[in-house]
Amino acid sequence: MGFTVESLSPTTVVIRMGEALDFRNADEFKSTFQSEIENGSVNFILDFSDTAVLDSTGLGSIFSLYRQISPDDGQVAFADVSRPVQVVVQLTRTYKVFRQFPTVDAAQEALS
Amino acid sequence: MAEHAILIVEDDSTVRELLKYRLNKKYDVATAANGEEALEQIEQKTPHLIISDIMMPKMDGFALQKKLQDDKNTRVIPFIFLTARADEPTRRQGARTGVDDYITKPFDMEQLLNRIERLLERMQVFQTQLDAEIGRDFSNRLLPKSMPEVDGYRIFFHSEAREQGGGDLFDWTQVDDGTYFITIGDVMGKGIRAKFYAFSFLSYVRATLHTLLQESTSPAQIMSRINEMLLTDEVLEDTFASFLILNWDPADHTVTYANAGHCRPVLITPDGASVAEHSDLILGLEAEATFRDETIDLAPGHALMAYTDGLLEHPVDGTEVLGEQGILEIAEPTLDTDTPIDALLDAALERGDDAFHDDVLVYWMQREA
Repeated sequence: MGFTVESLSPTTVVIRMGEALDFRNADEFKSTFQSEIENGSVNFILDFSDTAVLDSTGLGSIFSLYRQISPDDGQVAFADVSRPVQVVVQLTRTYKVFRQFPTVDAAQEALS
Repeated sequence: MAEHAILIVEDDSTVRELLKYRLNKKYDVATAANGEEALEQIEQKTPHLIISDIMMPKMDGFALQKKLQDDKNTRVIPFIFLTARADEPTRRQGARTGVDDYITKPFDMEQLLNRIERLLERMQVFQTQLDAEIGRDFSNRLLPKSMPEVDGYRIFFHSEAREQGGGDLFDWTQVDDGTYFITIGDVMGKGIRAKFYAFSFLSYVRATLHTLLQESTSPAQIMSRINEMLLTDEVLEDTFASFLILNWDPADHTVTYANAGHCRPVLITPDGASVAEHSDLILGLEAEATFRDETIDLAPGHALMAYTDGLLEHPVDGTEVLGEQGILEIAEPTLDTDTPIDALLDAALERGDDAFHDDVLVYWMQREA
């Protein structure tokens, strides 16, 4: 199962994270965002509405994304965060780095 | 399992194409018409297995096999000779030079497929065993051989590594001023790669701690330095870790800690269990991240427990995890037990799945009443 990417502007994309981001598909997620970065995207909205699993490998891959785009003033925003994802974000205090929005639309508005 | 790469070396194009056609269904197949071409192919990409004819122009099968034997990088590639029935003397020569198998032409395709499968399987088993062995070795090195022994305190430690587990780490050291530094961390990732990074990371942390302790005993300051290191060191680039540093002063009965996105420690008293609230951002993400020291007073009979996420994320009821609340509930009764960690883990297994899936590490210390 791949990740669905939707382009909102030349620099902003939405990635639908699906049911799980974990050690099984973290590499796939990395190559997904890698090609978006090569196409000029710096702002990433991650849609977590259906996500039941986010493990440390999965979170690590999001960190890799952040470290690549932050020097270009890019942002990683979390949209429609499910409860399991919320737990991980709280635990690791990453809400200090990844802004959270109730919906993809709200994230898009804030990032534009 | 990744698709195995097989190189077919055969000058007869009919046989070559037939083999390629049959093997392509299951393997990633490359072909060469003689030994020289084969060496060029191997240079580009090392195959998992080679099937080679003997009699070929330019460089024959024996010369090719000899060349591969002379190079330590290619010596271990399983090698199957295809020999013509008329070549009985050469076949015996083939057996002498240490090939893994030989098949006589005209060959039975099923038999060839069978032998390929067996050779690859043997390689795979060997690789898996090696990974497991290295993984166990790293896990053992990441764990302490002993625990601090201090009058008036009870200390317990438990760690259980899973092959598919991550990079849990634990270390402690006594400082000249009589206090102790206890570090617990979890390097992100799974399997042997995480364990390797955890190992490199721990070595660095030990060295940093040693140097920094000359000037400061603030866990928060040490945390900042480790964070900087993770963000600038090329080897550890892309390494992220949750980390908890405790500075325990047995004379003052205090524990000063800094927490970088790690599972929050739990204070257990006869009145109940509570979470040590403060924590900061996980390490390796933001150069400007700041960390803060917090101090806990340990009254007589009170205990402090720290752990890794294998316990926190232990599945309960299929869809839920044990979580902080669950841990608080099962931690409370441990205060009066002889073996508190055993009691804690038993309670966790009773509530949820009957085995842990990830590495589980717990440190438990109590000031005697």
